[in-house]
Amino acid sequence: MKTLAASPAISTAKILPGLSAIVLGLTIVLGLGFLQDSNNYLHNAAHDGRHSAAFPCH
Amino acid sequence: MADFRKLVAVSLLAGLLGGLLLSMLQHYQTLPLILAAEQFETPSAEHVHDWQPMDGWQRNGFTLLFNGLTGFGFALLIAASMYWRNQRGYLYGLGWGLAGFLVFFVAPSLGLPPELPGTDSAELHSRQTWWLFTAAATAIGLFGLILTKQRWLQIGGACLLVLPHLIGAPHPEVAHALAPEALQQHFVVLTSINNALFWLTLGAISGRLLRKVTF
Repeated sequence: MKTLAASPAISTAKILPGLSAIVLGLTIVLGLGFLQDSNNYLHNAAHDGRHSAAFPCH
Repeated sequence: MADFRKLVAVSLLAGLLGGLLLSMLQHYQTLPLILAAEQFETPSAEHVHDWQPMDGWQRNGFTLLFNGLTGFGFALLIAASMYWRNQRGYLYGLGWGLAGFLVFFVAPSLGLPPELPGTDSAELHSRQTWWLFTAAATAIGLFGLILTKQRWLQIGGACLLVLPHLIGAPHPEVAHALAPEALQQHFVVLTSINNALFWLTLGAISGRLLRKVTF
């Protein structure tokens, strides 16, 4: 575990690209896993995926 | 933002491959259980008119799309983490995949196990809130415990890991499920195995692909 903890701090140039990737990733995952639309279109399309990924469903 | 585009490219490929694997596992293992559980459900009048994908290629297609896109989203988190820590290669990727499995599957499932359709649960919003809180606390907790050197941060991280489970997940006052208990247990075991394989594969592929790009 020494090598993991010894990694250098994040350089400033790397903050924005990494942060953008994380924001995009979380938006996709949370949107697909958690959004409830009034017509249930998204819920019904994502239904089996949500159940199998242990996202709260119904 | 050239680096961002590389992260997106790596994650997209890893996510689609991981999602394809997960879809194949689910098709032969968990989908039959979901379909069996739905036999115990009687459609309520308010839901009958809602559009839903037809059983068969349409339903499987949407699940494949869902798995590919969530795979892409999860791979972005893995790739960005490795990018920040200057790591590459499948071994580091396996480590991050394991972390993702713990954060997004194991920790939330300890309180809210994967459920078959037709299982009574607490109100949806309270479960979603607990799920999100648990995933966030586990992510920050693991970071503190494993990736910091200061003792107080490590202790704080360990506390964050157990906090959601001390609070406890929301459960209905009277638990009731339409599908037999054996079917439900089978579902929990299979989803756990499938998601573990998915996360480790996703991490390994992401890490391996990061070797192909230079930042």
